[in-house]
Amino acid sequence: MLILDNLAATVGEGEDAKQILKGLSLEVPAGEVHAIMGPNGAGKSTLSYVLTGRDGYEVTGGSADLEGEDLLDMDPEERAAKGLFLSFQYPVEIPGVPVMIFIRTAMNAQRKARGEPEISAPDFIKKCRKLGAALNLSQEMLKRPLNVGFSGGEKKRLEIFQMMMMEPRFVILDETDSGLDIDALKTVADGVNALRSPERGMLVITHYQRLLDHIKPDKVHVLADGRIVTSGGPDLALRLEKEGYDGVLSEAA
Amino acid sequence: MALPFRDQIKDPTPAELELIARYAMLPEDPRRERAFAAFAESGLPHRRMEAWRWTDFRAALPDLKSPSQTAITDPFEPVKACRILFENGAMTLPKKWPKGVRGFEKMDAQALGDAERMPLGALSAALSAQKGGPSSIMLEITEPVKTPLHFVFASTQAEASFSRVTILVRPGASVDILESHLGGAGFSSHLLDLAVQEGGEASRTLFQSGRSDEAQAITADVHLGAGAALTQTVLSLGAKVSRIEMRVAHEGQGARAEMNGAYLAGDGYHVDLTSHVHHGAQACITQQTTKGAVLDGGRAIFQGKFHVPRTVGQRTEAEMGHHALLLEDGAEVFAKPELEIYADDVECAHGNTCGALDADQIFYMRQRGIPDAQAKALLTEAFIADALETAHEATGDILRTLASDWLKAAV
Repeated sequence: MLILDNLAATVGEGEDAKQILKGLSLEVPAGEVHAIMGPNGAGKSTLSYVLTGRDGYEVTGGSADLEGEDLLDMDPEERAAKGLFLSFQYPVEIPGVPVMIFIRTAMNAQRKARGEPEISAPDFIKKCRKLGAALNLSQEMLKRPLNVGFSGGEKKRLEIFQMMMMEPRFVILDETDSGLDIDALKTVADGVNALRSPERGMLVITHYQRLLDHIKPDKVHVLADGRIVTSGGPDLALRLEKEGYDGVLSEAA
Repeated sequence: MALPFRDQIKDPTPAELELIARYAMLPEDPRRERAFAAFAESGLPHRRMEAWRWTDFRAALPDLKSPSQTAITDPFEPVKACRILFENGAMTLPKKWPKGVRGFEKMDAQALGDAERMPLGALSAALSAQKGGPSSIMLEITEPVKTPLHFVFASTQAEASFSRVTILVRPGASVDILESHLGGAGFSSHLLDLAVQEGGEASRTLFQSGRSDEAQAITADVHLGAGAALTQTVLSLGAKVSRIEMRVAHEGQGARAEMNGAYLAGDGYHVDLTSHVHHGAQACITQQTTKGAVLDGGRAIFQGKFHVPRTVGQRTEAEMGHHALLLEDGAEVFAKPELEIYADDVECAHGNTCGALDADQIFYMRQRGIPDAQAKALLTEAFIADALETAHEATGDILRTLASDWLKAAV
């Protein structure tokens, strides 16, 4: 489903450009959840921004295909319409744009790009109610400007809410566990697990093993210094937790 | 009488000569003469005058020419209102005024205090006239009026159009004023005299849109009595050159003025919102929020002044905010917020910012599938929205849609 081959990318412009990804290869088949773990500065967030097409991140080599289509050639909104969703590490506040209006605008923009009809108002509201209840988001909250004045946990739950509303084909969760207490972590994980399906792939980027107790990955990759240095089953996450990155990395080297 | 004015204006431009000629055609009238003399002190305002340094009518309007197109369609047309139409300088009055409104057609020119400070207001006072008809209309509001009074300024390829409306709100009475300034004249200039007496209320919602070959001036001279209230909301899309100017005088204790405005200036368009508020009585309140967005080749001017004298201005509460978005390189915004405060027991504040849209917000929206241009339009619309919140309830959605459509087409 998602195939990254020898992906290299820099951050910054001109002389300040810094090589962050240095030949990253990875394959996430449909139906699987893969976790990427790694120490600070390994390039985890860079990877999520490169895949979603943020300005300032320049791909200098390699490829990234989603279902056989070259992602790197597309604008961020085209990638979103193809079904790529990023749950942000730091969700952005959008003053003046209420949550429901934002999500509906986004869903309809994606549908338009795919040549699909708009979602009807009753269908949209029904879905909002159902998923809002599942994620513990009040209807009142969904009328407020997006993320403005929301707590860290509320913002993360709102990311998952958006994901569930949009039903993307491929999901990247960038440090979704950061800033969450245990209860919120469970709510978020339940949301993610509800979306697991044979047609959908997921990439879970995280520092800690904690999230993976709730979202069980099929595979774990360790990212260090811009490339995947080792991969394994769920037990690799446990080993990392016990031995630390240094232990596992020295072995891999 | 016209000849001395010809000498008074230094090196008159063809436009100024034409204005003098128009004045000379009108019947003699001492008050008209005084108004024209006030205009002639400067002629068309230009950049060497401090209050006009960024808005140069003399340069933008070298001669009086009819524009290439007629006025745009009136967006307030669906609103149920009593309509007063101004076309090519001629007034069409309703057959019947709503309850609480008395209309007086003024054949002679009316006096204008402080005319020297408002050269284009003075010009309107001098040149608003029509053959065999009234020079201006005076409306007396005697009780709360339910139906809005809607003044529509839409000309048909006229060289120039001058108009004047006087509204007197009696104690305890109230009125909703709507204005559509839609162009259609090479130069249109309108003057509103508004006096709100003790405990009276007036709301004014104004939409202005001209074309890139038109000049528009809208001047208001506002006097507020004790406990009187004015709520004003403006959406200005500019013209080749445009200026919406108001002078507000708080003259009675506890008067309140809330003046909000939004502007959008595209390539080749010039927007100017200028205001002067005098706190001439104690415990008066002024709230002013102005927000706008400008594209490459567009230019916006905000000038706001609060004047709070030493003794009469005590317990003033005044707040001024101007915030502009420069949507593209090459956009220009000039802002001059001024608080001139001599009283010591006051609460006054002002804020002024100019910036670009936030790249993080745009990327976030694009990641959710909203195309770049739509994201920018949505963010800009949200940015200016609170400046339009005080619009008359029947026009709020219309103004927001106008702004949204403008942004969708422009960004």
